[in-house]
Amino acid sequence: MTGLATWGFAALFVLVLVGWHLSYTAARLDRLHVRLSGTLAALDAQLVRRAEASVELANSGLLDGATALLLADAAAAALEAPHESGEQRELVESDLTEALDVALTDEVVAGLEASGLLGQDYLGRLRSACTRVQLARRFHNDAVTDVRRVRRAWVVRVFHLAGHTPLPGTVEFADEAPTRLGA
Amino acid sequence: MRIGIVCPYSFDVPGGVQFHVRDLAEHLLGQGHDVSVLAPADSDTLLQDYVVSAGRATPVRYNGSVARLNFGPVSAAKVGRWLERGDFDVLHLHEPVTPSISVLALFAAQGPIVATFHTSMLRSRTMQTAYPLVRPSLEKIAARIAVSEDARRTVTTHVGGDAVVIPNGVYVDRFADASRRPEWTGTEQRPTVAFLGRGGGAGKGRPVVAAGLPGGVQGLPGLGVLVAGPGDPDAARDGMPPGVADACEFLGAVSDEDKASLLASAGVYVAPNTGGESFGIILIEAMSAGACVLASDLPAFSRVLDGGAAGRLFRNEDPADLGRCLLELLRDPAGRRVLADAGARRARLFDWSVVGGRVLAVYETLVEGRAAARAAPQPGWQRFLRGGVGR
Repeated sequence: MTGLATWGFAALFVLVLVGWHLSYTAARLDRLHVRLSGTLAALDAQLVRRAEASVELANSGLLDGATALLLADAAAAALEAPHESGEQRELVESDLTEALDVALTDEVVAGLEASGLLGQDYLGRLRSACTRVQLARRFHNDAVTDVRRVRRAWVVRVFHLAGHTPLPGTVEFADEAPTRLGA
Repeated sequence: MRIGIVCPYSFDVPGGVQFHVRDLAEHLLGQGHDVSVLAPADSDTLLQDYVVSAGRATPVRYNGSVARLNFGPVSAAKVGRWLERGDFDVLHLHEPVTPSISVLALFAAQGPIVATFHTSMLRSRTMQTAYPLVRPSLEKIAARIAVSEDARRTVTTHVGGDAVVIPNGVYVDRFADASRRPEWTGTEQRPTVAFLGRGGGAGKGRPVVAAGLPGGVQGLPGLGVLVAGPGDPDAARDGMPPGVADACEFLGAVSDEDKASLLASAGVYVAPNTGGESFGIILIEAMSAGACVLASDLPAFSRVLDGGAAGRLFRNEDPADLGRCLLELLRDPAGRRVLADAGARRARLFDWSVVGGRVLAVYETLVEGRAAARAAPQPGWQRFLRGGVGR
């Protein structure tokens, strides 16, 4: 009888231990998912800010018509893209990066710097938005790496701890700030 | 913004991380932010009023050297209280894998965490044993900063993921505005050479200088060599040819002010370090002061000097090359001025106004993201699970 009780307690102990590990892992995963939603929201916000800064610069009248049109087109496409990350958005954001790089030549940047406070303000905002896009993308991809690593663990897969949250993927697009911005 | 900064090393003794934390905190305070620094410190150490002491540090051997660290349940409780009282928007931990208050804060903290990795010499053995233990906590770090490419490589190999490189900062103007001392200033044809070192520590390259100087001294009689830093002058004089020893003036340990004056007065600053340094902060200080820099071609130094455009590089651990480059520089005042001007321009990139702005951009990216994510509608069950505690 005592033997049975001992086995019962041992089983109970193991069950409690497993239960604790499960809840601990679930909490850890939840914390990671919170971090992930934060970094994704940051990336989205910075991308929108970059596109808006580009639209403003294009509409400022400080650029020549052709450059302004080119920049406005890419920026508008970025603003219209669905806000969820996906291949389509990565493409339009890469296009905006390229458009910025093409538009902001040495002469254009020098012209804007010389045009007075307004031009400097546009450049400053664009510069800050470009660096923050880079930061936000890196932080987001770091979070994705962490989430994916934890979700590969067997406890998470067997006990379905991630629920219905889709497995995140890294966000890949060209985000280099135009070299002449000096960001 | 309410910013909490944790420094794992004691403020009782000077060190690179401590200076970095102090300068960053002062820059952020100057920008109007609310900053509190938590660091180990003895009760009789005079602290700036933004620094909170985490108690007395214990000297321990860790990662190959003796560091003054803070650990144990009492420290953990202190860290917890500091976090609670601070209610920070951002928590910035330095060296989060050092067994000191940084790791305690990492375990205890919730909310956005930024971590800066300084070292490029983490032992992989320590990492492998400690990682399963700290990994879940390291996942809380939302933004990683490395102070150099070498430190970043440590992060990518040992921690996984990536880090943003934001270099150490320098208050450039403090060096650019430093006054010259006539006794340390040479003439156009007979300039002075400055060398700063922390005694005979390994990797500081004093033997290379001792072996390389004869070339310079014998080529230019009357040259003045200024050696600053603690250490025994007699020990250093031993092994130098008599003519060289006479040309050297040993200044001993110098104050920050004297260091700036020395760098501003000297014609050429020599950094002969043979390795171990992850970042050349002293090079930037010398460049800020307007000295022409001659440094060994360590990858970190080469990056700071822009591959040789902002200062001369010589082959590491090659006294003959050092002597040759030194002599060339000493004989060419115009070339020296070109390098010094390029160096002074490049040093501006490392000014705290630039570096601090980048750190602040990291904070803001994190805080905005957190706010945006919280504002977004959450599924009902998630709201239910997190309840009013909301994180």
